[in-house]
Amino acid sequence: MAAVLEFLGISKEYRSFPRGRRLAALDDFRVSVEEGEIFGFLGPNGAGKTTAMHLAMGFTRPTGGGGRMLGRPFGHAPTRRRVGFLSENVALYHRRAEFLVRFYGGLNGMGGSHLAKRAAEVLRLVGLQDDAYRNAGKFSRGMLQRVGLAQAMVNDPDLLILDEPTSALDPHARVMVRELLLSAREAGKTIFLSSHLLSEVELLCDRVAVLHRGKLVRMGRTADLLHAAGQTEIVARGVAATDFAGATAQDGVVRFYVAPGSLRAALEHIWTLGGEIVSAHPSRRSLEDIFLEVTAGEDSPAPRGLA
Amino acid sequence: MKAMLLIAINYVREQRWPVFVLLLWILLLAFLGLIANIPRDRDELLYLFKEVAMYVVVFSIFFGGTAIHNERKTRRILAVLSKAVSREQYLSGLVLGVTLACAIYCLSLGITGSWTLGQAGFPISQVWFLMLCVIAACMLAGTVALMFSTFLNPFFGASATAIVLLGLPAVAGRVMTPGWDAILPVYSLTMIVLKSSFNDPGTVTWFPIGLAVVETVAFWVLAARIFAYVDIAVALE
Repeated sequence: MAAVLEFLGISKEYRSFPRGRRLAALDDFRVSVEEGEIFGFLGPNGAGKTTAMHLAMGFTRPTGGGGRMLGRPFGHAPTRRRVGFLSENVALYHRRAEFLVRFYGGLNGMGGSHLAKRAAEVLRLVGLQDDAYRNAGKFSRGMLQRVGLAQAMVNDPDLLILDEPTSALDPHARVMVRELLLSAREAGKTIFLSSHLLSEVELLCDRVAVLHRGKLVRMGRTADLLHAAGQTEIVARGVAATDFAGATAQDGVVRFYVAPGSLRAALEHIWTLGGEIVSAHPSRRSLEDIFLEVTAGEDSPAPRGLA
Repeated sequence: MKAMLLIAINYVREQRWPVFVLLLWILLLAFLGLIANIPRDRDELLYLFKEVAMYVVVFSIFFGGTAIHNERKTRRILAVLSKAVSREQYLSGLVLGVTLACAIYCLSLGITGSWTLGQAGFPISQVWFLMLCVIAACMLAGTVALMFSTFLNPFFGASATAIVLLGLPAVAGRVMTPGWDAILPVYSLTMIVLKSSFNDPGTVTWFPIGLAVVETVAFWVLAARIFAYVDIAVALE
């Protein structure tokens, strides 16, 4: 598959004024997002996720390296006609929602009845059809986020870059957005999103990358990462927790994990002891476990100072 | 072109309240035109007309100086520049927006001035020429302030620097030779307006207007060059 978004060893430093202290927001960052996938971008606050997205959109200039979006260098304005972007803190003009979506569509060269139709369609998709003629200045944060999503999708983009797209949404709206993104993937769109809602990312993303202090610390297919340990979780009844290393007893059952080569021996040991096997299945770590593991041991979420 | 127009119109809508407040001065001029004894008070009316015309030149500097700052501070600029809009187009939209906002004002002032001063015998064609001078001065002054605001974040810094730069030729014109004040013609254009009187309404001279247009383009190009290197996503203090 072709790469839609490529970060090619890109770095970004911020320099404070007047002291001139340098802060590394992103350091030799390399990621390639392929066509038709949903790519999740994780990291603690200040890890550099938003910086990476802003570099891709051309809002900021890299201090080193570069990247390509839809085959063109970052910051190429006409390429953004095929891109939809939603920023973390959605800030829009105080106008009617429908006007806003048409305004942003117009900036992308759309117009006429096609734009009017498309604006109504995307507002319906984000569940704002009844509020389309209300002033967005009076909207709640969640509703604003949905208008932001509508303006990002108005041009039917090939690539969606979404910074925390569900952070302000209620559970119903989250499900709606999740389905929206999944159907966009079905339609062949590529989605690059960041989120702190790890359960959402687990459900949505084909691949994830974890960024920490400006560096890429883990990347892979979501399914592979979640099953990376290769261990099997065994739940048994009628045995003591002390009979198995690392076992815990709760509600009359004993739970423990065994490495792939030890599964048969562990099951036979349970039978030998007169116990009963309740379940044995591949252990599945949550994304939260992985996230905490790779970002552990750091109290301060801020980028490190180099000076 | 379409994106530029959309940005310009949007800018005018965003500035509707300052423009509305400015228009109240024109309403005052119209009111005085109604109640004044025209033959007796005509010089006072012309004075007020010229004074009200100068307000918009000052406002154009603040319009230009604050345009980018406000957009960055509210982070609305991100949604605009996430579309297929280059930074040059964005700036040209703002320049056009500042000019449109000032032109709306000048159009209203021109209509009111034609009516009040026309009754008093001031040539109406000269009223509209003076309005053209004001619009040209506003366009250049706003663009210079906009250029400074691309790298001077505190908008008073950008506006103040623009005022100093635009005032320098006037000082040079007084201290050295008079020709210096034509270099950045905001001062010379405003002087055309301020020097007009019933006895000598002035003559139509297109050179300063043409120069203002050329320099507006030059400052827009310079602003676009600088703005291309600005990290617009960095939070403003």
